[in-house]
Amino acid sequence: MLSTRDLVAGYDERTVLDGLDLDLPTDAFTVIVGPNACGKSTLLRTMARLLTPRRGTVLLDGTAIRDLPTREVARRLGVLPQSPLVPEGVTVADLVGRGRQPYQRWWRQWSSEDGAAVDQAMALADVTDLADRPVDSLSGGQRQRVWIAMTLAQDTDALLLDEPTTFLDLAHQVEVLDLLHRLRSERGRTVVAVLHDLNQAARYADHLVAMRAGAVVAAGPPREILTADLVRDVFGLACVVVPCPVTGAPLVVPSYTGGNAPAPGAASGGRVASPGGPVDAAAGAEDPDSSTASVPDARPSTGDAANPLAGSHPSKGL
Amino acid sequence: MTTTLHPDSPRADAARLPGRSLLRIGPVSLVIRRRAVLVAAVLTVLLLLAVVLSLSLGTPYVAPADVLRALSGTGTPYDLVVFDLRLPRVVLAAVAGAAFGVAGTLIQSVARNPLASPDVIGITQGAGLAATVALTSGMAAALVAPTALVGGLLAAVLLFALGARHGLAAQRFVLAGVAVAFGFRALTEVVMLTADPIDGLRAQIWLIGTLAGKGWTEAAWIAGTLLVLLPVLAWAGWALNSTALDDDTARGVGLRPVARRIGLAGTGVLVAAMVTAQVGAVDFVALVAPQVARRLVRAERPPLVCAALLGALLLVLADLAGRRLFAPTQLPAGVLTAAIGGPYLIFLLLRGRRRSS
Repeated sequence: MLSTRDLVAGYDERTVLDGLDLDLPTDAFTVIVGPNACGKSTLLRTMARLLTPRRGTVLLDGTAIRDLPTREVARRLGVLPQSPLVPEGVTVADLVGRGRQPYQRWWRQWSSEDGAAVDQAMALADVTDLADRPVDSLSGGQRQRVWIAMTLAQDTDALLLDEPTTFLDLAHQVEVLDLLHRLRSERGRTVVAVLHDLNQAARYADHLVAMRAGAVVAAGPPREILTADLVRDVFGLACVVVPCPVTGAPLVVPSYTGGNAPAPGAASGGRVASPGGPVDAAAGAEDPDSSTASVPDARPSTGDAANPLAGSHPSKGL
Repeated sequence: MTTTLHPDSPRADAARLPGRSLLRIGPVSLVIRRRAVLVAAVLTVLLLLAVVLSLSLGTPYVAPADVLRALSGTGTPYDLVVFDLRLPRVVLAAVAGAAFGVAGTLIQSVARNPLASPDVIGITQGAGLAATVALTSGMAAALVAPTALVGGLLAAVLLFALGARHGLAAQRFVLAGVAVAFGFRALTEVVMLTADPIDGLRAQIWLIGTLAGKGWTEAAWIAGTLLVLLPVLAWAGWALNSTALDDDTARGVGLRPVARRIGLAGTGVLVAAMVTAQVGAVDFVALVAPQVARRLVRAERPPLVCAALLGALLLVLADLAGRRLFAPTQLPAGVLTAAIGGPYLIFLLLRGRRRSS
């Protein structure tokens, strides 16, 4: 439903995207990843017509988005910018109601559809209980759910989100991503998000788009495309990719770089050891919550110089 | 006109529109703040009282009952005093005050700054320079106001030209305005210093702003402007709701934030230039009325109608006080608006801070 053709976009003198062609699948959760300044936010902003491309086209259901009235686009495409400004003193219900703007005129400021859509959006994002609270009094996680509720009130088929989990703690990140997942799986919405965390991207995405320097390096299901080679290509980071112990999705673990991380064989080395291992058998036995200890294959590091953690990672054998 | 709650579940609707009701007139449905209706009603009553008081006080004194009798057209010995001497000036004060309230509301919301007003963004100074030139060059008295209007509009054009490059973004808008204001003020001072001292004094009084010797003509120009702009103002009352959204969010929900800012600011400076040209720089009303009205209504942004009513009330009272406080010496209304409005704004600010802490 969303595609780009020969898209050139940027800010002032700087060209960020240079001739990008991309098709995003309908009814899927697409996650765009890439290093800082790779153009992923620029791509999202251009697709959401927040940024006018210098050349090329964004197609929404086959029609050039610039040929559509912006109000009509707002009824088909919801967008949550990176860090929206929270209006002072506005209540949650009020802000969610702003999502109905594309359906309203100054002489028709409210209809029963508006009310129903706001109710449904607040229920979906689980902010109904906060309806009367001022948005600026909420926590970061609650606030982000309110913003998502506002875009849901637009009642669009597609939803574009620019780094919706930034500045949230891990629990709230998972909460927001679970909500986006539900929107896709239960409501059949097309969700496109820029995320920073590769592992979260791999866990939630149906379709992963990896970008570097304004170009798409790879696109496809994370289980097919997310490899150590791709991470090295895109981020310039050495890593191992192992299956996630919870979901089986690819899990990216950066290699030991000799920096601040504890050296293998020191603090973590012992805990990684198998229960029967000679080094720390007692520690392993006393530490049942450590999922690593139960992995029979795990061995203490063999001291691989280039990638010392590779040999010792417990999940490798899964 | 009937105020009806939503037909399908009133309780759920109250949650979606807290403190608001839906006003339905045929195909038109407007969301109205209940507290704004209350505040507007109280302000209207106070305004009418102030008007009667203003018609009554002075030399000669006319008892309020006689004022009412004269107004109802029953013919009293006071008709001349009430209708010909006092009413034009009182009506001008009310209309000009309302216009300042409207202009202030629009300018403050585009500037996203409660301290923005026509004299912060240079409209007053533009009108002031033109009026000073007119008054010191021996121009006919009838031409002073039209010249001042041209000056105010010139300042507005300059303001838009300087602010437009960044889509009239709040900070750019205020900065451009401050630059325009300083430029015109400097030029005004040059004109003042090179002028005949008597002419300079007349220009000085104009700059402070006074309603003395003015009446129906000035009121008609201002009221006519507001009337012509009424459809735009009806739109503005609604568009003001979303000025608090940042540009990306606004575009996301299908708004065109730059066009909206140009529309709101354009309307604001047009009203400001017109009213300033007619009554001079009484613009403290434009600064105070929107903010006080906002606090009275307890809204997150200044309410247009209540700000207009409060501006009218403030200027009627300021003009009355200017006429009577040191009678027979008359003070220009511009001096009194600051004296009345300033302390009240400070009081509200202090009270607001205590509540929020």
